Amino acid sequence: MLRESTQIAENEVDLSDVVGGLSDATNIPNAEALVNFAEAIVGRENDKIAKARQVLFDELGNDATVDAAATTSAFHGFVRIADAIGIPYTTAAQGKDVPEIREAAGVNNFYRVQEAN
Amino acid sequence: MSSTPFENCAYEVRQDIVETHKDAWGRIASPGTWLDGARRLAVVAEIRQARSCDFCSEIKEALSPYAVTGAHSVTGALSDAEVELIHRTVSDPGRLTEPWTAEVLDSDLTQGEFVEIVGIIAMVSVMDTCTMALGLPDTDLPDAIAGEPTRYLPPGAKVNAAWLPIVEPEDAVETDEPLYPSPKVGYIYRGLSMVPESMRNYWALANTHYLPGEYVYQFDKSIRAIKRPQMEIIAARVSALHQCAY
Repeated sequence: MLRESTQIAENEVDLSDVVGGLSDATNIPNAEALVNFAEAIVGRENDKIAKARQVLFDELGNDATVDAAATTSAFHGFVRIADAIGIPYTTAAQGKDVPEIREAAGVNNFYRVQEAN
Repeated sequence: MSSTPFENCAYEVRQDIVETHKDAWGRIASPGTWLDGARRLAVVAEIRQARSCDFCSEIKEALSPYAVTGAHSVTGALSDAEVELIHRTVSDPGRLTEPWTAEVLDSDLTQGEFVEIVGIIAMVSVMDTCTMALGLPDTDLPDAIAGEPTRYLPPGAKVNAAWLPIVEPEDAVETDEPLYPSPKVGYIYRGLSMVPESMRNYWALANTHYLPGEYVYQFDKSIRAIKRPQMEIIAARVSALHQCAY
């Protein structure tokens, strides 16, 4: 999804940033503020969330802040369905999630993939 | 806490998000397919309890999550199997395994109950995360609505691609009621299909927080205030932090 959307939008993305954290090689508008906000939410630390949310609000405004919160929240649900039901990771993105992309993104080092191999 | 979702929020929240939260809390409090309303709300309380469970923190930090010994900090309202399912799925979902799933099911939990509880975990994860992200406390739990679970088992549900049974689009029947917007939906959409009502309830929330199904593969369109690459960098990073390989 990330790869396809960035190609269409003509943004640059380094897939290793998915696991390693954002680098200068990824060039999506406001990515740093968005990723910092998402990371703070995953960490569930209210002070960090508040600071990151204010940065995002200052950069992009109310509606983008709400939609970034909503997107982050949605993926707190998706990951739990995928992992608790045991949906094969090879079926992600309608089966287009090829091993090379998993390798480039660092996903092959995840526990679930390691356990399967 | 607040009994009305997004009450006193400092941000102007999209009305469809507000409405789906209200609707979702009502559905969680109602009798489900295998659990009654009171037990479904007990699951929610246990989900919230898991976030401060010291044993879950130890598991999360451990290199070998199944080698850690101890006991979960519990509300006391649910069985050991329900507690184990809820706490690990909340705290360390990326390291759940098929043998662990089999062990939970061998305790005293049916496949239908397992899937329904996962559906509640997913819904509450979305809603509590969204309110927290916007600086709000957890929404108060509503009162349970009396009634019996429907105990509906889709005739087409079977174990195939995943660890738990799934209804493939070609196996869906009329008594399942509407399941899929398209026969090509991804496996993440099919995940809760053994309990159709849970699946519909979850996706009503997911569609407003992320994207309705018809927009997911339209990468050149954005119906939100952030662009698709911006949404997807969030999605990818959140999934990675949960060690979700899907």
